[in-house]
Amino acid sequence: MSVSLAKSRPEPDEAALAGHGLDGLNLFVANIQTGFGPFISVYLTTQGWTQIGIGTALSLGTVVAMASQLPAGALVDAVSSKAAVALFSILAFSASALLFALWPSALWVYAAEILHGFSSCTLGPAIAAMSLAVAGPAMLGPRLGRNARFASIGNGIGAALMGACGYYVSERAVFFLTAAVTLPAIVSLMPLARLRDPALSPASYPDGQAGPGRAPISSLLTNRALLIFAMCVMLFTLGNSAMLPLAGNTLTKEAGNFASLLIAGCIIVPQLVVAAISPTIGKLANQRGRRLVLLIGFSTLPVRGVLFATLVNPAALVLIQGLDGIAAACVGILVPLVASDIAGRSGRYNLSMGFIGLAIGVGATVSTVLAGWVADAFGTPVAYIGLALVGLAAVLVAFSAMPETRPSS
Amino acid sequence: MSRPGWRHTPVGGAIALALGLLGVAAVAVAPQCRAAATVVAQNQPETRPQPSTAPIQDQQKRAAENIEPLSLKDAAPVLGKKVKGPNGEDLGLVVDVLVDTNGQPRAAVIDFGGFLGVGSRKIAIDWKALDFTALGRAGTVELGLSRAQIAAAPEYKPGPPGAEAVTPPPAPAPPVDTHK
Repeated sequence: MSVSLAKSRPEPDEAALAGHGLDGLNLFVANIQTGFGPFISVYLTTQGWTQIGIGTALSLGTVVAMASQLPAGALVDAVSSKAAVALFSILAFSASALLFALWPSALWVYAAEILHGFSSCTLGPAIAAMSLAVAGPAMLGPRLGRNARFASIGNGIGAALMGACGYYVSERAVFFLTAAVTLPAIVSLMPLARLRDPALSPASYPDGQAGPGRAPISSLLTNRALLIFAMCVMLFTLGNSAMLPLAGNTLTKEAGNFASLLIAGCIIVPQLVVAAISPTIGKLANQRGRRLVLLIGFSTLPVRGVLFATLVNPAALVLIQGLDGIAAACVGILVPLVASDIAGRSGRYNLSMGFIGLAIGVGATVSTVLAGWVADAFGTPVAYIGLALVGLAAVLVAFSAMPETRPSS
Repeated sequence: MSRPGWRHTPVGGAIALALGLLGVAAVAVAPQCRAAATVVAQNQPETRPQPSTAPIQDQQKRAAENIEPLSLKDAAPVLGKKVKGPNGEDLGLVVDVLVDTNGQPRAAVIDFGGFLGVGSRKIAIDWKALDFTALGRAGTVELGLSRAQIAAAPEYKPGPPGAEAVTPPPAPAPPVDTHK
């Protein structure tokens, strides 16, 4: 078995290079995505945009990102060079960042939002597919752990860098910086350029058998494990997404002069935790199974909600955010891993990723709206408890219905 | 029998080309110029629409008469401008202005605090508490209240019943009530 596995992968030095390429790619892409987050609304405000205009632009981005998940997944499945997909996605990020920086007027901002929304949906699956090609299905868990480590380092550095850039230089400079960071991301792609699609290659799999060609889409959408997993992560995201903004809001209210610094801490602390533990989590998923990791990750959410609801000490809020890091590491690794377990050799890997991505997108969108409404109507603690209950539902669904998807070998 | 794990594709070349193109694009940075505004004024005499029998030059002349130049000293845009505290610290951005039935501004809505857009709160600040002398020159509005003083203010919500505006503590004015 180990012999056939060794054959499936590139030469050792090339493999090491490809591994480093993936490290860099994850780091820089996470770095780039920091600039495209909630900061866009701050930037457009400084450009004299009204709140309604900003809301329209951001909603457009959200709608495009959701509507693109499935088509983008199918597209990535159909293109054999995932590096080419990644290249075009990153170039779209560069174009999007430059449009924001140079022409922050309605038409170009809408164009930038559409470009970014669609290419986010192609880049994530492409990186996962390249990881599968480099590591092979048997070692995908540890590889995704490494991806998560570098992505979180990129997120942390990105938050610090973009925050400083926005504060000391200008809001506009953040987008020039974002565009500049696409360059090292493209350089990281170089050792991955000659990677081939592993999905239909028999040598990638321990039993030497490829999938039966491209599976029909209907078989994917009736796959029980995929549906339950998508439902679990949707519930988890529904409970999770609004927690950081709510905590930030509380900090801005309670912490006075140091609020911004503490919110920065709330963003960076989970990234440190992810960077520290994600390789271990990746190994754990390989050795002890996906279910265990899923339950560990999910169960931090109700705990975090209850702690947020009961503690008001600003420093405590930052520490509680460490739990977010545990959840982020587990979910971040499991999404591409479980998708690979379920659809890795069906030729529908990226479509499955798109399906799970859509579930996450729905959860995230509903989460902020719902939590905002509950916080307005019943107060922030009630909103935290509500999010914790949704998190508990995610744990229960995962515990009672989610099958173990780790290939038995 | 042994399949190569790597295949030569043109993607490598495409990556190199992309890097070159991005380098060129990065140079193209256009500075933005700020011009003083001209506004169409309404209350000037002799600007009523005349019968169409008047010569065209006259019409153009009259049209020019009801244009009033406004330099940035006279009036400056305020949406999206930074609000600075007593020690020059960044407090937030002006995102809206609340006006009364006479069109007079009563309060500014400030998006306050946060980090990279996370965790900011909208707060209404009494218009009289704001100092606009630096607005035209530096593009900033000054507020004599520190972060801690305004942090605990109620969050601004658009729509009825109206806003609760933060006023300076020495001379507390009644809260602004905007009937929408």
